[in-house]
Amino acid sequence: METPHSTTHAPQGFWTKYLFSTDHKTIGIQYMITGLFMAAVGGFLAYVFRYNLAFPGESIPLFGQLDAMHYNAFVTNHGMIMVLFVGMPFLVSGLGNLLIPLMIGTDDMAFPTLNMMSFWIFLVSCLVMVAAFFVPGGAFGGGWTLYPPLSASGYVNRNPAFWSTFFSATPMFILGVALEFVSMLMGGINFLVTTINKRAEGMTPFKIPLIVWFLNIATLDFMVSVGPLVAGAVMLLLDNVVGTGFYDPARGGDPVLFQHLFWFFGHPEVYVLLLPALGVMGEIIPVFSRKPLFAYRTIIYLSLIAAVLSVVVWAHHQFIAGIDPRMATFFSIGTIIISIPFAGVFLSFMATLWGGSIRFTMPMIWALGFIGLFLIGGLTGLYLGSSTFDIYAHDTYFVVAHFHYTMFPVVFFGFFSAVYFWFPKFTGKHLNHTLGMIHFWLTFIPFNVTFFVLFFNGLAGQHRRVNEYSSFSNIMKEPYITFEKISTIGAIVLMVSQFIFLYNLFISLRKGRKAEKNPWDSNTLEWQADSPPVHGNFNPYPVVYHGPYEYSHPSSEQDFVPQDNPIVLKTN
Amino acid sequence: MTIFPENISTYGQEIDRLFYTISALVAVAFVISLFVLLYPLFNNSAKRVKKATYFTGAKRKHFRWITFALVALALSDFYFLYAEHGAWVTIEQTQVKPDFHVSITGRQWNWAFTYPGLDGKLYTPDDIVINEMNSELHVPINKNIVVDLWAKDVLHSFFVPNIRLKQDCVPGRMIQRWFKLTKTGTYDIACAELCGLLHGKMRNFLVVESQEKFNGYIDSLYKKNAPALTMTNPSN
Amino acid sequence: MAEQTLSVSLKQVPQGRLGVWLLIVGELIIFGSLVVCYLLYRLRFPSWVEQTQHTSTFYGGLNTFVLLTSSYTIVKANDAALKKDLAKMSRYMLTTIFCGLIFLAVKSTEYAHEIGAGFTLTSPGLQATNPVGATFWSFYYIMTGLHATHVLAGMVTLFVVWLDARKGRNIHRVELGGLYWHMVDLIWIFLFPLLYIAK
Ligand code: HEM
Ligand SMILES: [Cu+2]
Repeated sequence: METPHSTTHAPQGFWTKYLFSTDHKTIGIQYMITGLFMAAVGGFLAYVFRYNLAFPGESIPLFGQLDAMHYNAFVTNHGMIMVLFVGMPFLVSGLGNLLIPLMIGTDDMAFPTLNMMSFWIFLVSCLVMVAAFFVPGGAFGGGWTLYPPLSASGYVNRNPAFWSTFFSATPMFILGVALEFVSMLMGGINFLVTTINKRAEGMTPFKIPLIVWFLNIATLDFMVSVGPLVAGAVMLLLDNVVGTGFYDPARGGDPVLFQHLFWFFGHPEVYVLLLPALGVMGEIIPVFSRKPLFAYRTIIYLSLIAAVLSVVVWAHHQFIAGIDPRMATFFSIGTIIISIPFAGVFLSFMATLWGGSIRFTMPMIWALGFIGLFLIGGLTGLYLGSSTFDIYAHDTYFVVAHFHYTMFPVVFFGFFSAVYFWFPKFTGKHLNHTLGMIHFWLTFIPFNVTFFVLFFNGLAGQHRRVNEYSSFSNIMKEPYITFEKISTIGAIVLMVSQFIFLYNLFISLRKGRKAEKNPWDSNTLEWQADSPPVHGNFNPYPVVYHGPYEYSHPSSEQDFVPQDNPIVLKTN
Repeated sequence: MTIFPENISTYGQEIDRLFYTISALVAVAFVISLFVLLYPLFNNSAKRVKKATYFTGAKRKHFRWITFALVALALSDFYFLYAEHGAWVTIEQTQVKPDFHVSITGRQWNWAFTYPGLDGKLYTPDDIVINEMNSELHVPINKNIVVDLWAKDVLHSFFVPNIRLKQDCVPGRMIQRWFKLTKTGTYDIACAELCGLLHGKMRNFLVVESQEKFNGYIDSLYKKNAPALTMTNPSN
Repeated sequence: MAEQTLSVSLKQVPQGRLGVWLLIVGELIIFGSLVVCYLLYRLRFPSWVEQTQHTSTFYGGLNTFVLLTSSYTIVKANDAALKKDLAKMSRYMLTTIFCGLIFLAVKSTEYAHEIGAGFTLTSPGLQATNPVGATFWSFYYIMTGLHATHVLAGMVTLFVVWLDARKGRNIHRVELGGLYWHMVDLIWIFLFPLLYIAK
């Protein structure tokens, strides 16, 4: 058997160990910390504009007055930051880096230097996004969807001050996003090559843990869908910087073309975030139900189908954008169809619970919370998948509430489940359970308070991206004014309670109970390495004998069978 | 509290009805899913069940409940897709015989309305153009109104919650929609697509009135605007 | 089991090659999208044919020839590398890089002519008379320009590989650089008919 060699030359200095590290674990943690920082930025922006919505015109604590221009900029950046600069580093780069090499039983990524470079490019992209707030006139405010002509130059904006902001901030915004794409593409190549090439002996495709599958499907989906947007963004950048007319109708350009390019990426992007989060649930639920994941293979097939379908449903974001109405019907059908494989995945997760012996640990509670919330998000998606109802609901708060019910559980519940589950592995310490419970309830309840009421505001006709509703007294009347206030109070509680989490991280790192190798009695390979794993992860490399979910197997004494345990399981 | 604003169009209630149809399906799906999720949580906690049952779900037989649920979901999905299609065709794909034809242009930051002038035809030099913030669009009740939607500078979206109609306006294109209104009154016209600094202040009014009042309004416009009749369509 | 054989045979592909393949797929999707956008516009505006009259088939053809030659020489370089014939490999690699240089030189002359004739990214002169035609030139420059930066990137890559390989280090990278170079070539093979031949 080969012995890993890298254990012998683990980097020693502070710089090589913590900053310019090529170790996948350090890089994964760097991604997560950067993501946390960006979440603070995106959350603060949300706090500011949410406060403004409930108490228009009043001075906002910790900020001051918010005018229409900054409102637009804040909403725009909140959206882009939360999706690409929080969701992606948490769920794709962060989890992928931490878990893929460990779960497939190898020492590191296929290209460690490339991996380090993709993190640093990502960091630069974050800095560009944040720096854009400080250029004269403030950040870009044309909506995270970047629709031209508003986001392209050449259009006379009657307020000259406003115009200059678009001019300087738009290129920065596009640049920041472009750098993020570069970083993700580099990281993605690494994920795929690592998974294809570096798996431990005996780890056949259907012995790979679900989350590794899902991370790779997500990566592929990303790589296939991002190309058109890169092309579109280059054209948009040129429209801005040198004044070409790719999207200028007067010069034959077509603004709707950009919408197609954007959503060809934008829709698969939500699955790029959803799949790793589902993967986390797929790891946590079997462990704490002490049962095999229900229909493991079928889940993988279903999500492959969904990934393929995900690139042919994009135009459901454009039902009323002026596309051919017959095309809308086609995309409406596609959208409804894609809900079916995902429903299958969720039902399989729930089926895993049946007949289990369920342990309500912190990660499990977060995972169950995720499923509960996503259920609402998914079901409200059925309304919007219907093109006819979308005529009314499009660009109202109904949509805002819907996608927060999907994106928030995915990004934050996915992230928290993962942290509560794998924290002992990567730090060697347990998180505090009581603080964890408080954190859970103070996230779950305020989240619902914040967003459930917004469904009703949307149904009442309140449209998005409007800083104050004083001009629409027919829509913005009681009870909707109160709903705005309720939503804001919920959001503030939600954000403040995240300090409990930070405190928990901090205190547990210092004083937490020591974690053994495999505290949850789990099967997958990462739990067979030390906590925290040494540089090089395994010594010797593991050999895989079993699938990842052999819990409570009748022919085994223990109720779990680690993947590298050579005992023979009798199948009947 | 009513869920929707008052409906004033002939097709609006179909959208409302669609909402309730989908809600019924969603409610059933929600209750069932919640039961499937919660039942084992109460019944199978580690305290009650010491050892889990080994069950991989790999056999098709095991998957049949899920298949059943998925088929039910697909069928109900297609049921409402089918049920809604009529409304979609009515709103988006129907050419009605116009009783009254008006052109609406989104611009930063108001809606501009162009009425046909004395010749009764749009896009002729004697069109009457109203182009200011908070102005009113007058239309007669119980008539087929056909609107030509334009955008002058950036994307806008013509949105009248009470009609349940929303349609993006794209520079360089003309998009036609229609409606027939059943109640007189004054309603909001909003812009639902982010269009720049004063997007949120982009608001005009829709005034639905009887044919007589409407005729009076057009006459008064004609008198007031006589010198400016040479104005051309703002979208040109 | 089929599943096992598939996973084993994929595992035998060296990491580097797999990585470059994925990179190429990513790049091709980006260029492919540009081409699709171009085609959509071209179908919408038959009048673009007028503009295509002004692209120089001679220069385009010359460059196609240069790039095809360079693809041949890089194949030769890789053959030599496999046989550990460092001197020959080095010569062929330098020829490839030199072909890249010629390509860029020709392209620059061509650009100089076009810019002289008033056709630029924005073509201000054209905008007044034929605004739709001006957008053809935006596409022309964005597509050929992006391609030219890839040629440059390919040259730098090959040069860096050459620095090591001529001393016998990391010879397998010659193949990887070559794969990338073929991609650059392939993209040109698509651009050439679209921009130069279809008139
Ligand atoms: C911390 C809790 C959050 C709150 C209170 C919040 C609040 C809001 C609100 C009120 C809007 C609509 C603003 C408007 O249309 O005027 C909005 C927009 C948006 N949010 Fe959030 N949000 C939160 C978290 C998230 C997360 C986790 C994501 C995604 C991962 C997200 C993604 C978006 C996007 C994409 C938009 C649309 C931006 C645009 O219209 O350009 N938000 N958010
Ligand atoms: Cu507008």
